[in-house]
Parts: sequence; C-alpha cells; structure tokens
Amino acid sequence: MPGVAFVAHCLLNQNSKTHGGARCPGVYSPLVEELRAAGWRLEQMPCPELAFTGLHRFWAVKEQLDTSAYRRHCRRIAAAVAGAIDVHVRRGDDVILVGIEGSPSMGVHITSSDPERGGRPEWPDGSGELSPGSGIFMEEIVAELAARGIEAPHAMGISHQLPDHDPAVERAKLRELMGAR
Amino acid sequence: MDTDERGFKVALVAGELLNPHGGGLDALAVLEEEDWGAIQLPAADYPDDVARPLLDQAAEQAEEFARNGYTLAVVRGRPGLAEALARYGVALPPTADPASAEELRAFLAEAGG
Repeated sequence: MPGVAFVAHCLLNQNSKTHGGARCPGVYSPLVEELRAAGWRLEQMPCPELAFTGLHRFWAVKEQLDTSAYRRHCRRIAAAVAGAIDVHVRRGDDVILVGIEGSPSMGVHITSSDPERGGRPEWPDGSGELSPGSGIFMEEIVAELAARGIEAPHAMGISHQLPDHDPAVERAKLRELMGAR
Repeated sequence: MDTDERGFKVALVAGELLNPHGGGLDALAVLEEEDWGAIQLPAADYPDDVARPLLDQAAEQAEEFARNGYTLAVVRGRPGLAEALARYGVALPPTADPASAEELRAFLAEAGG
C-alpha cells in the first residue's frame, strides 16, 4: 500500500541548490515520477541550508556546518517535519525519507567530511570528502522522531551528485525502499 | 563543476495540488514542464498546530528567494500564507487558483514574465 515520502526540498525545487548544483530548472523528475507512479504522497522537507547559509553558500563539508547555531536551526525544522510524520504514523501510513547522498545536511548513508577544510576556499575539485554517515539534518530528524517515540523511517538519498551515480540503480533503490514495509 | 540549470522561478503551491486525486489539477507536472520549482505548502488535512510551523518554514525559504530576485508566484495558497510571508518581510506574490493545467500554464507565463 502506498504511503508518504518525505523528500528533500531540492527534489521539487532545484533552485535551492548551491550554485553549480542544479540539474534542471525546477523539479528533479526521475525519482518524483517513480514515487508518484507508485501512488505515494509527496511531502517536501525544508532545505536546512537555504535559509541558514543562503543561495550564495559555498559547497561545504559537514564540519563547516556543524555549529550549535546550525544544529538549533536544524532541530527547529526537524520538529516541524516530525510533527507531520507523527500525523501519518498515527494514521497508519507508511513513511519513508528521501535525502541527498553526499550532502552535509541531507545525506542518509553518505555525507561529506573533511576536518581540515576551512579558510580560503581553494580546495581542488573532487569527491575526496565523501564519507559514510548521515548529514546534520538527518541526524536531527531521527533524534526528534526518537524523542517522540517514533521509529526512524526507512530512508535513502538520491545520488545524482555522486561520481558513481547510476540512474537505474537509484530508481531500483527507491523501488526497494517503497516496498520495504 | 557542472553547468547550473536552475530556472530562477519558484511557486508556492497548495499541498493538495502536488498530490492530486481523482483527476484533479496536477500542478507538479505543469511546473516541471514550465521550468518552475515548487515550495510545498502544508496540506489542509494537517491540524493547525502541525501546519503552522511548516507554513513558517515555507515562508522563510521564500524569503531567501525573494531577496535574491527570484520570481515567485502562489498557486492556490493556504490560509495564513500572507501573514507568514509578512513576518519575513515578503509581500504576497502574484496568486491564482487555476482550475486546469491550461489556466496554470497561462498564469505561470504571466507571472514569470
């Protein structure tokens, strides 16, 4: 039975990406189409970086964003999203989370990490910062749900910004996620 | 770095129009065709105490686009949206409640200049 997919903001609005990161003008359709074709309700989560560091933000690793102020910001958003998840869980709906792999905020299984990064942004282009783990917002939403006694939903992240991105694999992972409960 | 393909146009859309039932207007499909992004407004089936912080978040996100000159529009909207935007210093963007995909296309064309 279809459920409710809480998706990263940028799936429906690529305008929220850091400069250089938007893959299309607005709606990133591949996974959105997959979810909708299967009858899942979409719920867009706010982009935690957009309102905090703005549209002109640099690409960042987790250590650069992991401040007390940013954690408070993420907890405020997480509380709002968890309230909606709570509604659906109480209704008996299946709930999944779809984040962004490689993101310092929205990564589910892959985030970005480099403890040495800081100062003048002269780092070479590449993907050496990709690291196993979750982003800051994902950590906070799981913590908020746990505080409410709600089990963390099954989750995945879209992988379009990873060097080994394979659209077919990404779709297969989403189909697996939708059938996980 | 890849070429950035953003459209610089963002619509604040009633949640129901992004999850249509029974042949209703599918706003998301039209937004995609017309190169607009979406900020989803909380659906009417959420209790007020759940919808209020979600609406506040939507307004805060809209503020960042507004102050950077992105084109904004509202599709159907939601009670309390104008007040939420005002708390962030954002005037209510052009608003419409289209009944069909054609009406939505026409509205977006006008709003997007």
